[in-house]
Amino acid sequence: MPTRRSLLALSTLATSGLTATHARPAQAASAKELRYRLIEDPESLYSGQSVSLTVNTCLNFLHDRLVYIDAEGKPQPWLAESWSFSEDSRQITFKLRPGTKFHDGTDLDAAAVKFHFDTILDPKAASPVRGQIAALDSCDVLDLLTVRLSFSRPFAAAMILLASPTYGVNSPTAVQKAGRQYGRRPVGTGPFMFKSWSAGSEIVLVRNPRYRQLRPDAVNKGAPFADQITLSVLPEEGVAFSALQTGELSAAELQTDTVDRLRQDPRFAVVIDDKAKNLVFMEFSFRPPFDDRALRDAVSHAIDREAILRASYSGYGRINLNPLSSGIPGYDAAIGTQYGTPYDPEKAKALLAAAGWQPAAGGLRAKDGKPAKFAIRSYANPATDRALAVIQSNLAAVGIEVSVSTADWGTFYPSLLREGWDMTLNRWTYSDPLVMTNLFRPPGHRRNLPADEELTRLLTAVDSTLDPAERQKVVSESQKALLERRLILPILTSDQVTITQAGLQNYKFDYLNQILHGDVRMSDW
Amino acid sequence: MSRYILRRLLMALPVVVGILLLTFLIQAVIPTDAVSAMYEGQVTEDEAAEAIAAMRERYGLDQPWYVQFVRYGANVLQGDFGESIRLRRPVSEEIGYRFVNTLTLTGVALLIGIGIGVPMGIISAAKKDTWLDVGAMTVGLLGISMPAFFFGLLLILVFAVWLMWIPVVPRGGAALLLPALTLGLIEAAPLSRIARSAMIEILRRDHIRAARSRGMGEFSVIMRHALPGTLLAVMTVIGLQFGNLLGGAFIIEVIFGWRGIGELGVKAIQWRDFALTQAIILISAGAHISANLLVDILYAWIDPRVDYDQ
Repeated sequence: MPTRRSLLALSTLATSGLTATHARPAQAASAKELRYRLIEDPESLYSGQSVSLTVNTCLNFLHDRLVYIDAEGKPQPWLAESWSFSEDSRQITFKLRPGTKFHDGTDLDAAAVKFHFDTILDPKAASPVRGQIAALDSCDVLDLLTVRLSFSRPFAAAMILLASPTYGVNSPTAVQKAGRQYGRRPVGTGPFMFKSWSAGSEIVLVRNPRYRQLRPDAVNKGAPFADQITLSVLPEEGVAFSALQTGELSAAELQTDTVDRLRQDPRFAVVIDDKAKNLVFMEFSFRPPFDDRALRDAVSHAIDREAILRASYSGYGRINLNPLSSGIPGYDAAIGTQYGTPYDPEKAKALLAAAGWQPAAGGLRAKDGKPAKFAIRSYANPATDRALAVIQSNLAAVGIEVSVSTADWGTFYPSLLREGWDMTLNRWTYSDPLVMTNLFRPPGHRRNLPADEELTRLLTAVDSTLDPAERQKVVSESQKALLERRLILPILTSDQVTITQAGLQNYKFDYLNQILHGDVRMSDW
Repeated sequence: MSRYILRRLLMALPVVVGILLLTFLIQAVIPTDAVSAMYEGQVTEDEAAEAIAAMRERYGLDQPWYVQFVRYGANVLQGDFGESIRLRRPVSEEIGYRFVNTLTLTGVALLIGIGIGVPMGIISAAKKDTWLDVGAMTVGLLGISMPAFFFGLLLILVFAVWLMWIPVVPRGGAALLLPALTLGLIEAAPLSRIARSAMIEILRRDHIRAARSRGMGEFSVIMRHALPGTLLAVMTVIGLQFGNLLGGAFIIEVIFGWRGIGELGVKAIQWRDFALTQAIILISAGAHISANLLVDILYAWIDPRVDYDQ
């Protein structure tokens, strides 16, 4: 039984021992090991069971896909050597390349592809990916290497979705063997194989020695240059910044205000993914007085997009007058130029006056005795906070007072289904023009848009037109229709900015913002 | 003592049930759940309507909150904390090792806090109004005022970036060092101030004056006659501070990537993953109650006058 005094002595000893411990010094990544930052711990690495962007990032190391999207935005063969559409465009038949093996040595054949899509379709699995590809009805094996996907309607976004890591095929043998643990022991066909996962800390992947890269745009057609990849979970920006400085990370995606501090340092290189597919935009409630197009038009001309880009993203990105991110196929700059609402505060003031919003006491405008005081809601994020400050100032300059409120996404987004807001500042990331349909086909994603037959027809056509030329036409017309109606106030698309060690080579993003990890190497390897 | 412990444990039961009930009520009021939070900025509810309905049914979220509460309570009594919607894994598998990690972090931090704070407080009291006292108390004030996340980043900058003694990316045993130091040094600050004021008060008492008048050396006076009384005051504060330590661990774990329940708790709340959140709340409440009980037991051990059975 320890005495009181010995307990005190023991605690002091333990403490002094711990503080005197000299941990090993910080080391750069060991030979042929690349270390990357993960902003959060992925929930699972079960392809087809998550729509998280972080999960997608990890799956890209582990899985090749049936198709990839080339630099022009067109689907090209990858694990599938060819495909064809049925007469009614509701079925896509893929012919798989022979000889593709999973990391566990089993074959990637039509049965494996069917197994994968069945796990997405299975109501018991309740996969969120089911929501993303809701038009998919079934997957059928036609022969050993031929598989057919059947959709409930012609589904134009199918190929872009299938090129995403979420649709990388899992080894059925591994899924059945691991059961509920499969998300922690994934087996794919990609350049790296899963080795270990310390939840919340790091994921270690090792080189797939049998890997053969089938994409013509890849530098390395064989096994990856790196022997090992370590994905370190570093949510805190300052910690990731420090780890880059000490050489413990090969590359890290950073917030743009942190990037500027490393930009001039010759030890690092800045990689900008200018094909980002996000769109920062404002929407209107459509409740009075925002049911008046003139008011929406005036507000749209009052917003200084350049100032928001500088304040929120340190200038990394592009202002956008279109309701579609410039990284999405179908983006039509001419539509934005012709029908968009460039920053013009004088025009905004004139439009307000013409709509009956006259200057009143204190510089605030009013109409029919009602002052121009409105509420904007958004989600909590440092970039959003700065954007809201600019918007508040821009609108004050034309005589509109806005109160802003932010909350985390889970609170903010559902709150838009109720009243109490006039405008929102939102951000959406999607790879296909279908995003316009998902958000703005009446009654809209927040159930606030008035019925509009023409707009419904156009946005439905965006969803279901497969012919590339025809689709481009309806995508352009839809952009025009959304702008003409002032349903959306597009603001900007921000770049994804990654800082790498200066010696890191071939760290490049493809059309869908994914890295060809087999190509990446240090210059001294 | 055993009757006292049993009584305290029984008293804890309604507290735990109350906490659970409260979290279920909060869940009922919040206009979203784990299923809709999953599609953040990518998939609209219209697209995902069928998948959302299937998920809500699978996890029982389509039931009224009181039905979910009764089901949850019955399952917990059988040791089943349910399945995390986001992680697709049984909650118990995810929580178990993380709880051990959090206890390790808070335990080591507490030892650091006691090991630094108590001696610092004692020295300050013994050398009252000298530069040592003023210096120690200034450091203590800094420790109390410094936000945990800022202090953590400061330690990373000094030890990992400037001195390069330890890696920034936590690995192995060294991973514990900085988070435990951050929490421990912050904890040392209030402990040193409590130890100082308690010691000053005791050093004024008659039995100390009597000990000194018998010719006993100052070191012996402090260690044999003043320290036990000081420790009683410190013990009380440690019990109260345990909650602060757990709260601090939530932030520190995120900064240092320490795999504890705090780091998971922050995400569970963002995800609206109530099975995870409730399990973390339950475990935190249990840890809190246990820590306070332990302090009471230690109290009786240090002070023979304390007898809970009377």
